[in-house]
Amino acid sequence: MLKAKVILVALGAALAVPQALAGATPEEDRKETVEYFKQMFPDVPFEEFVNGQYALNDDRRKQWESMQDFPPYEFAVAEGQEMFETPFANGKTYASCFENGGIGIRQNYPYFDTEKNEVITLELAINRCRESNGEEPLKWKKGAIASISAYMASTSQGKPINIKVPDDPDALAAYQDGKEFYYSRRGQLNFSCASCHVQNPGKWIRADFLSPTLGQPSNFPVHRSKWGELGTLHRRFAGCNNNVRADPLPAQSEEYRNLEYFLTYMSNGLPVVGPATRP
Amino acid sequence: MKKPLLAIGISLALSVPLAAQAGPKEDFQEVYSKAQSTHQDAGTFQWTVTGDRLKAAKSAAGNGEYEKAIAMANEALKLAEESVAQRKQQKEVWRQVAIGN
Repeated sequence: MLKAKVILVALGAALAVPQALAGATPEEDRKETVEYFKQMFPDVPFEEFVNGQYALNDDRRKQWESMQDFPPYEFAVAEGQEMFETPFANGKTYASCFENGGIGIRQNYPYFDTEKNEVITLELAINRCRESNGEEPLKWKKGAIASISAYMASTSQGKPINIKVPDDPDALAAYQDGKEFYYSRRGQLNFSCASCHVQNPGKWIRADFLSPTLGQPSNFPVHRSKWGELGTLHRRFAGCNNNVRADPLPAQSEEYRNLEYFLTYMSNGLPVVGPATRP
Repeated sequence: MKKPLLAIGISLALSVPLAAQAGPKEDFQEVYSKAQSTHQDAGTFQWTVTGDRLKAAKSAAGNGEYEKAIAMANEALKLAEESVAQRKQQKEVWRQVAIGN
């Protein structure tokens, strides 16, 4: 009798383990996600997903194309370049903190730092660069940090996003944490990120047209008409959380950095197109 | 010899009903602190509306409007309990809707 029980438990475990691991790797997740959106929008070419709602709605696209003659973020990018190139009080510049002098590297952010055991976003790296050079950190969501980040993104335009999840349990845990955040319902309205951007892209929610998950981080920082200025991805995360009546988390909190890590990994292979404009 | 014991007994007997009859301020503090700690238990699943009710409750109490303050704190407690339930439920079910599970 005892033997029979042991065999049953072992059988159950043997059947359950592969199921728990199914689709567990980031690359399998990404491939399934790409396939999901290709099936949902068969007429949208893969690279067009970076244009979000403009890839799905002709009227919005026409408005956007007319704005592209004089993009509203141009001055901010120029300011960002000036700040990027202006030496700190110690004579060094941002270029000293980044690979390739900070030019053409946006597509590699965020990355997992296996020594510090944390996700490093571009904005975090910018502020850590300032601090290591004796400067005060910038505010996270808008203003100078968005302009510098926008300039750096502009030097990566067209380069494919190339986020890596190293073979490291902490890196995988950070990725999984971001994935869990993306799919967990929050707030009094009981919405997850996925409720809008996986289950309902291409539909209207009040006056907002929902974009798909794929390609979302390619655009940041973005100039939103609603903001009237550039803002970072974490500003947008906070706005989305607030919209569903969930308390937003601090920009560059571990949760938001892990979320960015997962979300950007899903867009691997798509080109950087930031900075961009959104309604 | 028995007088001190008697005095203690009388004072205890008198203090019990007093303690049992907590005033509106104490009632408010009790429900407010329960709401606040439940709100904290929601962790990263806290709701903005809970925070709004807590603020309103505190402000009403500050103005001496304890009836309103207690009502607000009770609303906050109910919302906080729902957010904690959401947190627990999502921990179990998020994978069911995730691409790649």
